[in-house]
Amino acid sequence: MASDYLALMHRSSLVLLASIATLALTGCSEKPWHGIALDPASAAPPLTVAGALGLPATRFVLADLKGSVVLLYFGYTHCPDVCPTTLSDWARAKRALGADTAGVRYVFMSVDPQRDTPELAAAYAKQFDASFVGTAPSETELTMFLRDWGIAAYPEGDPRNNDYSVAHPAHTFVVDSEGRLRLMIPPGVRGEDLAEDVRRLR
Amino acid sequence: MKTWPKTFVACASALAIAACGPSAEPEVQPAPPPAPTSILSVRDAWARAADSGAMTAVYFTVENTAAVSDTMSGVRTDAAEEAGLHMSMQSNGTMHMAPLRTLPMPAADSVLFRPMGAHVMLTRLTRALAEGDTVQVTLEFVSGQSLDVRAGVRTP
Repeated sequence: MASDYLALMHRSSLVLLASIATLALTGCSEKPWHGIALDPASAAPPLTVAGALGLPATRFVLADLKGSVVLLYFGYTHCPDVCPTTLSDWARAKRALGADTAGVRYVFMSVDPQRDTPELAAAYAKQFDASFVGTAPSETELTMFLRDWGIAAYPEGDPRNNDYSVAHPAHTFVVDSEGRLRLMIPPGVRGEDLAEDVRRLR
Repeated sequence: MKTWPKTFVACASALAIAACGPSAEPEVQPAPPPAPTSILSVRDAWARAADSGAMTAVYFTVENTAAVSDTMSGVRTDAAEEAGLHMSMQSNGTMHMAPLRTLPMPAADSVLFRPMGAHVMLTRLTRALAEGDTVQVTLEFVSGQSLDVRAGVRTP
């Protein structure tokens, strides 16, 4: 049998997910979500980033996107593995959604204000799909939204060395068209499964 | 009267002859057999496309078909200023990335390097990697062996 270190690392979270899935199955006959459904769903916390001056595309106000389903990921552009894998899965989900992708917004929010600018984050997101939005906060904006969302992000390694990595939230957050935080999609949920969850929220 | 079984007597005589008889051994000791070593191969190698100066990851499966284990101890490449073994891992909803000093290669087993798990991280690429390109990295092992990995480049 192959030694899958990832499986070892994730065994505990898989057990938890399996338990949640089992509960969902026994609780009702409804098909389980691929992501973790937040029930009851409550309003998504505020998320506002001024963006680059003179570049309105990098300004971001989550509340302005009411009416759309929003996929939101907190990452960083110097991320070689997890962030590009997630955004590739989004691109696959978008292709799987086809015409149903209208009314879905894909947002990459940097949590690395030391290295990422709004322009860099925007260019990074567009590598995966031209419609993907990317931006980066100021240090102050970052501190505020980490607190509001109850999430963690911080440099690991020596931040004086430009090659440090950044610990960041593992999940994609999905906000429905009424602005409620509905799903947390764990890493490893593939594009087609992600598309299936998004389609149910539209 | 108690008698020894015939087979016992025969064995005892054979032992006595082997121990006391003139030695048939040559004067020079034969070279010891070579120590068993891991037998390593790599498959399914690919790297994610990235710009020059950026960072990226290389993924593959390493198989060790021998009955002895080995340990991956490093990686080098000409394609980037730095190359390292890394592991992405999730803890309490937060994604972390940690450098790996070594990675066990169990006997008769394979080890997966894959997205969101173990990967080779290339830092500050010396050239852009575009779809269709090939990038080479060399894995090093405690046994002294090294393994060249030729990874096809795919778009994100």
